[in-house]
Amino acid sequence: MNYDDSDLLSSSWLIYMLAKSSDTPEGRLLSLFDILNDWLKAPNMLKHCHLSNANHSLLLDYCITQAQTLGAENPEILAEHIVLIARNAAQQNITHPSSNSLTHAKKAASALILAQTQPVITKSIKPALSKPVTYSIAATLALAVCASLIWAPFLKDQQSTEHVNAELNKDNTLIIAKKDDQPLTAHDATQMYAKYELMRQGTCQFPEALLMPDKHKAIYLENVVGGKLPSNLEDLAIANDYLEKVKCNFTPMLMAASK
Amino acid sequence: MTGLREKILTTASNLFQTQGINSTGVDTIVAVAGTTKMTLYKYFGSKEVLILEVLKQGHQDFQNWLNDKLSTNTKQPTEKLQKLFDYIEEWVTSPDFHGVGFIKASAEFPKEDNPVHQLSSQQSQQFKQYIHHLATEANIKDAEGLALQLSLLFEGAVQAEQMKRGSGAIKYAKTAAKFLIDGALKH
Repeated sequence: MNYDDSDLLSSSWLIYMLAKSSDTPEGRLLSLFDILNDWLKAPNMLKHCHLSNANHSLLLDYCITQAQTLGAENPEILAEHIVLIARNAAQQNITHPSSNSLTHAKKAASALILAQTQPVITKSIKPALSKPVTYSIAATLALAVCASLIWAPFLKDQQSTEHVNAELNKDNTLIIAKKDDQPLTAHDATQMYAKYELMRQGTCQFPEALLMPDKHKAIYLENVVGGKLPSNLEDLAIANDYLEKVKCNFTPMLMAASK
Repeated sequence: MTGLREKILTTASNLFQTQGINSTGVDTIVAVAGTTKMTLYKYFGSKEVLILEVLKQGHQDFQNWLNDKLSTNTKQPTEKLQKLFDYIEEWVTSPDFHGVGFIKASAEFPKEDNPVHQLSSQQSQQFKQYIHHLATEANIKDAEGLALQLSLLFEGAVQAEQMKRGSGAIKYAKTAAKFLIDGALKH
């Protein structure tokens, strides 16, 4: 199939950039706004490219796949809405470059992702666990237990080295005092995404899950190890407590080995 | 005579909404309104002027409806902001909804120097300013940023609804708007 690579949103290069932008589907969806922002700042970009009102089927299909992977309630609508917001914001960016429209569009898209994923997470944590979720939690739990047993001596040594980065520990801004059943705000979600992204950049040691209370275990596996957003403020506070116990080493492996 | 002008305006508005602006000819408008081309041109001069008048009237009607809803059912500025998307959802999901004039017109007249496109852009800006005003009244620190986020959510949801009626996009937009407003109110 041929695609119009001069149309910013129909370009196969955009899909390539999105695919390598993040390890998570939500990260790849949100990167759309960063990539467009960068492209529109590039000199002479609009002399060679344009933004059409066409149906951007390549991008839409890619976003639908990402939305399905992250477990959105209605992946087609989420993908379509995100592509429309991206196009409208890019158009505004062209006519009003100082509006920061793509930055704000990213926040709107982040809130939309939350709106479509929050009920799914809630269902998976509450008593009526679906079979695939139960199996996946059990498998992750077994893996986490095995990993902690095998790595335990090594982890102790690592904690005493100066390579252990305490940045996650220092960032206490996410400690939520209000432990009720309120949903997360877009700000909470953005902060959590930032923490997940930071963790992915390092080699992280996770605390043992074996002795945790059952509820905490589910939240820990889903929202700390699994990198999914908690469904409400109470779960967020619990997830944050465990996030604080994760130790990450951000020294590149080759550099660490050469010391 | 004013009644005839209103009749042409209402007829054109209905036809533009249901059939599209470019696909609706002047012949159809006068036939449905039960008048003549001469009368239409006497009141509006050209089809372009008629389109501009329809857009102005439609935007004014929507703003008036929204203002009435907010002023009748809410008291506090914060409440007005929080209820905004409730009423937008009510309007978008009503059986009479056929899209938003300025969003449809902007897509049908994409050239920036076209007067219809220019009016559509102005109305889009006006709606964003309206949200900006509500956010400022509610003491939101970054009122401009929140207004941009909410207007992008609104326009995207309406476009999705225009493409597929009952898509549910406005329902998710309402939830997302709540997250954004709650987050902005905390700062």
